[in-house]
Amino acid sequence: MTTRLATASRAAWLTCLAGIIRREGLRWLGQRGRFLSALVRPLLWLVVFAAGFHFVLGVSIIPPYRTYIPYEVYIAPGLIGMVQLFASMQSALSMVYDREMGSMRLLLVSPFPRWFLLTGKLFAGVAVSIVQVYIFLAIAWFWDIRPPAIGYLCVLPALILAGLMLGALGLLLSSLIRQLENFAGVMNFVIFPMFFTSSALYPLWRMQEASLTLWRAAEANPFTHAVELIRFALYVRIAPLSALVVCAYLAIFLAGAIFFYDPGRGLLARRLGPGME
Amino acid sequence: MKPALLALACLLLASRPAFAYRIFVSNEKDNTITVLDGETLNIVQTVDVGARPRGIVLSKDGKSLYICTSDADHIEVLDLATLTVNRVLPAYKDPEFMALSNDGNTLYVANENNSQVSVLDIPQGRIVSEIPVGVEPEGMAVSPDGKTVVCTSETTSMVHFIDVATHTVTASVLVGTRPRFAVFTKDGDRVWASSEVAGTVAIIDAHSHKILHTIHFSLPEVPKAAIQAVGINITADGKTAFVDLGPANRVAVIDTDTLAVKKYLLVGQRVWHGAFSPDQSLLFVANGVSNDMSVIDVKALEVTQSVPVGQAPWGIAVAP
Amino acid sequence: MPRDSASATAALEIEGLAFAFGKRQVLRDIALRVAPGELCVLLGPNGAGKTTLFALATRLYAARQGRIAVFGHDLATEPREALAQLGVVFQQPTLDLDLTLAQNLAYHAALHGVAPRDAAPDIEAALRRAGLADRKRERARALSGGQRRRLELARALLHRPALLLLDEPTVGLDIDSRATLLADVQALCRERGVGVLWATHLIDEAEAAARIIVLHEGRIRADSTPQQIAAPAGSLAAAFAQLTRRAAA
Repeated sequence: MTTRLATASRAAWLTCLAGIIRREGLRWLGQRGRFLSALVRPLLWLVVFAAGFHFVLGVSIIPPYRTYIPYEVYIAPGLIGMVQLFASMQSALSMVYDREMGSMRLLLVSPFPRWFLLTGKLFAGVAVSIVQVYIFLAIAWFWDIRPPAIGYLCVLPALILAGLMLGALGLLLSSLIRQLENFAGVMNFVIFPMFFTSSALYPLWRMQEASLTLWRAAEANPFTHAVELIRFALYVRIAPLSALVVCAYLAIFLAGAIFFYDPGRGLLARRLGPGME
Repeated sequence: MKPALLALACLLLASRPAFAYRIFVSNEKDNTITVLDGETLNIVQTVDVGARPRGIVLSKDGKSLYICTSDADHIEVLDLATLTVNRVLPAYKDPEFMALSNDGNTLYVANENNSQVSVLDIPQGRIVSEIPVGVEPEGMAVSPDGKTVVCTSETTSMVHFIDVATHTVTASVLVGTRPRFAVFTKDGDRVWASSEVAGTVAIIDAHSHKILHTIHFSLPEVPKAAIQAVGINITADGKTAFVDLGPANRVAVIDTDTLAVKKYLLVGQRVWHGAFSPDQSLLFVANGVSNDMSVIDVKALEVTQSVPVGQAPWGIAVAP
Repeated sequence: MPRDSASATAALEIEGLAFAFGKRQVLRDIALRVAPGELCVLLGPNGAGKTTLFALATRLYAARQGRIAVFGHDLATEPREALAQLGVVFQQPTLDLDLTLAQNLAYHAALHGVAPRDAAPDIEAALRRAGLADRKRERARALSGGQRRRLELARALLHRPALLLLDEPTVGLDIDSRATLLADVQALCRERGVGVLWATHLIDEAEAAARIIVLHEGRIRADSTPQQIAAPAGSLAAAFAQLTRRAAA
């Protein structure tokens, strides 16, 4: 009887990563409800919300756009961000659920280092969210949301970066918050505030007109920068400030998540402990 | 390294033609013509002209631009080589729009305030004839065979057919309220006339003078009153027509076979008149309230860009 | 294979282990040894600290006091080598119910760095052993409780660990399933020399073990063969009751 030391070979690391991504994909496909709601939610916003604001926005040209745009074109990148935000919060939530906690344990007893497993889990979530985004973009094409063809390619790195940042936030939340039992809590305290105080629904200049406080909050909101990064990339432009801000938030959230999931910190123990006894 | 780069830059600059083509936009509020490079869409120059420039027409040789300077009560001729006004042609009060004869020697000018069309001999620089039409004439067009001129009178809501040989109105067709603009199809069989207040385009048989069809527009998100039809541009292949819908901030795209609206393109505010690029790949439209010009990709039917021009842009012309 | 001589190296060795959640001391002064091929039952009432001990032994969180080694590899300093030799069946079900049996096993293999292609024969074999070979394309949700546990056991063995940790593996199973599971594990010890630490609060499961460690209120109260533990009180049940009562008093 011999035991293979899996972590010795480089291929094994890739196998592990691929396995984590594959499982996430299979789970997403397997859960019809989650699959459908992820698609229907942004489309609902696109159809219902955008219709009411049709005439409002065609009055100003803001970068990266080079001409007047209908409101649905404006909110499309915000809805892409929403897809990724929901996806990351959902996977954060699934990590918090008790039943999921079991499979988190299964993941964590793998001989690969914990930072690698957590990052792998993060990548898996991002991969799934990107598939959702492209499905959304494909459907949105029929709503006349038609960025330049090359934009669909250019947006990919932005989606990866934004997805990682939001996923890392989810991971951090999953390690930090104990009483995050249900989705409503995350909705109220994370998703909605982040979504509404961002440039997803209204351009920043409009917020500045409405309320200076709101504008400042939006400027600091990582989601604003994720959306702007996506918006510019979709129209083949680079938003350097937003890219920088997203990278910074990613580093902070990821470092936080790895810190709090570190077995030596005992924070996970404190969180899991009493409940497990 | 540095000299090599410099040389490369020089080479690039030198190999680029000075101007592929230029776009001219009349700005009725600041009394200027904005000149843009067709390739870069950068403003090359802003030329001061007489008061309230509106209708502009390119000469047949492409060397000058005729400008209706409405409040100056005359027509100015802009030399396109020097970009200076080098000649002034007479007009009656308030010339608004005009059409050039096929030989390039005669301008038919709509005089908004005295209900007549002036026939202006360009080489002689004088008005040779006046043709009485309805109240507030504006839209002017010359038929491809050069034998007929049409004029729209805004208050009378009529399209007048004028026989060039006799300088008389041979027929008047009642169309929607406040007709603003008219254009012949390439075969000369039909006249498309837009009505501002009615927000419709009438398609008139040029021979029988009967309205064959009226195109209506509707945009769920735009109030009906804001849908006003003004400028019309029909592609050289005759397959597609673009109708500028004024304060609806949209250009309607019409399939000329079915006469159905294929698409509405969002442009700047109060889109008024348009002109194609020489290769017909782009359509430029002037937006009177947002003070800019939108660029439409004719094949993709998409607005690709909007660039600022002068105050209250009105007319637009392209010179190769 | 362990670097030390086989006789000297325990499958699992715990020394001087203590652990607290905040101010609440959950484990104190734990020392135990599981030899290769040995079935060792960790017997204790609910709340004795079994699950915490398992969480520490699987490095879910780290022990700040004491040492845990798997075949001589310290979990704190050589976690990869230690975890590679470790198979775990958790108290809670950890199957992905929406994934098929084969997908569940393939995921586990990937977590241990084994590519799906290389793992395929092992997965087939594992399903055969669990008596589920013909159901590999079904979702795990379709399995009964006993079948799920058998699949989890098969999964825990997929990467051929030399030490198996089972945390209350029979919870929620009927009598037949419990017996089957126990027999399976005994066979593993015998035939493949796997060292097993089996946590339970059920005395009848402990009787089949080679050794019993009684844990109560975070301390080891007894560590011997079932016969020796049972002897003073007359039966194992009586002895267990005595051991756990005495401490509570």
